[in-house]
Amino acid sequence: MNDKDVQRREELGPDRRQEISSLERRALLKLGFAISGVFLGGSVLSLVSVRKADAAGAPVIGGYPYNPHYTMVIRERHCIDCELCKEACVKTNGVPAYGYRTTILEKRRALEEGKFETTFMPVLCNHCNNPPCVRVCPTTATWKDKTTGIVGIYRPSLCIGCKTCMTACPYNARYFNEERRAIDKCDFCFASRLSKGEKTTACAAACPADVRVFGNLADHGDRVYRLLHAPETLIWVLRPETGAVPNVFYVNT
Amino acid sequence: MNTHLAGIFPRSGGLEARRSTTLTLTMALLALLAVAGIVAGIHSLVAGHEHTFGVSRGVPWGILIATYVFFVVISTGLCIVSSIGHVFGFKEFMPIAKRAVFLSIVNISTGFLVIAFEIESSWRMVVGNVVGANLTSNIWWMGTLYGFYLVLMVVEFVMLQKGRHGLASACGLAVLLTGIAANSNLGAVFGLLNGQWFWQGPYMPIYFVTSAATSGAVAIIFYTVLAYKVNGWQMSEAMKQSLGSVARLAVLMLAIIVFFTFWRTVAGVTGSAPGRHEALLALLNGPYRFNFWAGEVLLGLVLPLVLLLATRGRNINVLFVATLIAMVGMFFMRYDLVILGQLVPPYHGMGLVDYPEFYSYSPTLHEQLVVVGGAAFCGLFFLLGERFFRGHLVDSH
Amino acid sequence: MRIWLGVWTLAVALLIHPLSNAADKGGGKAAEPYDEDTYGPEAPVVWVKPVRSVIFEHRVHTMDAGLDCASCHDDLFEMSSGEVAEKDDFTMAAIYQGKYCGSCHDGSTAYNANTRCTTCHIGVRGHQRLERAQAEKGRAK
Repeated sequence: MNDKDVQRREELGPDRRQEISSLERRALLKLGFAISGVFLGGSVLSLVSVRKADAAGAPVIGGYPYNPHYTMVIRERHCIDCELCKEACVKTNGVPAYGYRTTILEKRRALEEGKFETTFMPVLCNHCNNPPCVRVCPTTATWKDKTTGIVGIYRPSLCIGCKTCMTACPYNARYFNEERRAIDKCDFCFASRLSKGEKTTACAAACPADVRVFGNLADHGDRVYRLLHAPETLIWVLRPETGAVPNVFYVNT
Repeated sequence: MNTHLAGIFPRSGGLEARRSTTLTLTMALLALLAVAGIVAGIHSLVAGHEHTFGVSRGVPWGILIATYVFFVVISTGLCIVSSIGHVFGFKEFMPIAKRAVFLSIVNISTGFLVIAFEIESSWRMVVGNVVGANLTSNIWWMGTLYGFYLVLMVVEFVMLQKGRHGLASACGLAVLLTGIAANSNLGAVFGLLNGQWFWQGPYMPIYFVTSAATSGAVAIIFYTVLAYKVNGWQMSEAMKQSLGSVARLAVLMLAIIVFFTFWRTVAGVTGSAPGRHEALLALLNGPYRFNFWAGEVLLGLVLPLVLLLATRGRNINVLFVATLIAMVGMFFMRYDLVILGQLVPPYHGMGLVDYPEFYSYSPTLHEQLVVVGGAAFCGLFFLLGERFFRGHLVDSH
Repeated sequence: MRIWLGVWTLAVALLIHPLSNAADKGGGKAAEPYDEDTYGPEAPVVWVKPVRSVIFEHRVHTMDAGLDCASCHDDLFEMSSGEVAEKDDFTMAAIYQGKYCGSCHDGSTAYNANTRCTTCHIGVRGHQRLERAQAEKGRAK
């Protein structure tokens, strides 16, 4: 991204954008995000992946490089680790016992007087805009779909099992499927559901607490778009320092 | 046909290999171990790594990747030391050149043999690497370049055997460039993984090429002395002098590796780059401290340096011991590099509970058999090479 | 020099020691043994229905918070913990309307049931950890 782009973003952006100091803006841009929401009291940010948009040569504020730009928003604090999502995923996608496409991790934060607070953290493939796993694949068995942005093993018959993508993934999202003799991973249920007309993933459909919200970020009417552009929302992604520009967003709302 | 082969396999001249029962039995044993390794490897491919190997989702690259790195880095290094003599014309490095070229072929073949069992659907490579060629993938470049490297190396060797020195030198230069490109790409396979901070950065490709030159110098001394010892040959003055020169190169390269290791350690401990710091602590004062201090530092660097410096590379027996332990130390370096880079789980430092501080990995019997089999394969072809190529003598021209 | 430092440290430590001990006793509750007849079963109740896994601890509500048995039994909950799990309306929606836990966890008597989810929802992971701990305890005995 060059200075002109930044300048244009600034000119085009909503009035509130001026409240963001240029230093903060620059720091965030370095991480691969453009600020498209509002900034209140140092904590409320809306971050949107921009790298691919730039690569496509058409940076648009609040625009997304894919359509549908499949995204998952995780309303993290509502997760109760009932693991119905994991079960649904296994059942829907035939995930073997030694593998998983999504799992739940558990964070613990100390409160006063020896108490602590637990937060469950669902994790899955982040379908990055700049997927490290795709770059390293020697045989292009895996790629990011040009339309949907879904990172999948589209040609498992070419997968040689070198497992470089497994070491490259910053999210440990990949495993080797012994039956397919190829790497396997979350495909946002494209093969099992989306391609058959379903609108959401198995894990999102199974969640009783409305934690996983799946949708099209390119559609301004879509819930994921609204969640990520709502005021006073704290949005974060996992491991932004790797430059992968993930598409699974975590929110505190 | 026969005359062609006769040109490659010398019928007379050179050194006659010893024909003793011990040597024959040794070769039979090496062949047996190699076959056992190959059988274990094939079984692991059929049954799946899930059931036979210690690798896992967290640590998908195990001891076989380390072994592959060990052998191909030695191969590249042998190519480098051979080129000093017969490409760049440094007389002192001439006597070791032919053996270095031959062993370079043997070592890269061993590397390929071993990695064929670590790549879990390796039979798809033949088609996949061509049909699916991904130019952004370092591992594709590494594999492809090493493939060309092997072919070119064989051509170079044949030219050397036939005495076509001009062509051999030209070939040697091409092999050298291909080998270094392949080797630095192997470093980049690790160094360009942005999620793995222990490896990440330009350090890896540079370190790999430096390591190659180091292993090459060490390995050619080791193999040469071993060849003369097992066959009971008398070493010529020229060869002794040559080994002395290579030993000086080895000292220099080992010193550079000391420098590399020192600053990587200090940088990792001082800085708090997530993942790199934790991995280094595991290496310095954690589960891998034995590997590091005893394997990498003592065997790999300090003892060889002390021994080579103390004898100034003149004592053949000391040369042998120093290079032998340096090779063992280098295996520790490759192993630690490969395994430690994967040990820190991706979500460390986020306050997770029931989440491992480090992943764990230990090689299974299958993996160990493949490693031993690979080493035996390498040793067997080394001995056969000495016999069929009559001590790889270089005629003075 | 060093010897004096040691002597002084020891002296100060001896002086402070009875005080800190007394402070501990002042805490009171920790020293009182848990009486199941007064406070209800010591082992936590874990529901896996209608959703995995939710914990209830008598200790927190009786011994610590000062409620007695009649506060909840049998109006809100049957004595048998399994029974409520069979009811169709043992749901968060009902709780938000003031049923079951919601009769206190309404934001005024106690924190609202629609906040701090993971305090009670220990999840599959929490449940497994609890079972591991109990198994270990069993082995220790």
